[in-house]
Amino acid sequence: MTKNKHARWIAPASTLAIGTAMAIAVRIGHTWTYAIVTEVIVVLFAVGYYLLAGTKSDVGAIYGQRKDERQRHVVMKASRFAMIVMYGVTFVIALIMVAANKTYWQEDVIASVGGVSYFLALLAYGAHDEDAAGDDRGIMATDSVLGVDEKNNVRPPM
Amino acid sequence: MSSKLYIMKNEVREYRRTRELSQADLAEGLGVSRQTIIAIENGRYSPSLPLAFRIARYFEVPVETMFDPSEEAEA
Repeated sequence: MTKNKHARWIAPASTLAIGTAMAIAVRIGHTWTYAIVTEVIVVLFAVGYYLLAGTKSDVGAIYGQRKDERQRHVVMKASRFAMIVMYGVTFVIALIMVAANKTYWQEDVIASVGGVSYFLALLAYGAHDEDAAGDDRGIMATDSVLGVDEKNNVRPPM
Repeated sequence: MSSKLYIMKNEVREYRRTRELSQADLAEGLGVSRQTIIAIENGRYSPSLPLAFRIARYFEVPVETMFDPSEEAEA
């Protein structure tokens, strides 16, 4: 279990920082009223996360930055599910916008950045390929995706 | 390749009760959450190798005694 003296403040502080940035954007694009309402909601969420992080539950441990190995697995599975849902919703919105003959460049940005990030993460977190000699030369250095010795037309022994 | 998740059967609950320990006590001793101990005892989570060895050492038994890989339950 990860332990940090100030761990309980990470989620609320992050919420405040991101939420305040959003409130500033709201003020720039809209009125003070909307901006203040946004900031109030952000503060309420930050307080909620602080209280939640103090509970002795799985969610409390996750938001309190004291996850053990099982809770890290839970977070990974939940994050993957959320990512799939977000991609699905983004794609549906893009379909609607395109069908309505409107541009939706945001979907292009999200999909492109998401796709490249996923590929880079695969490389960074250890997705490799082995050549016929069994040496790990990295995913970009293989002679053949299938691992076949193409010169001699022989598949290497397993 | 099967995509089913198999959980190893274990004797964690039995050894814990023998020592009259609560799940919270065991969790604190192992540095994990009580929910994780509950999940392990109920067969809903198989611990990692380091944690499995820590559990076995905590009860001073071989890891093969604590976890039986020949008995697997489908999760």
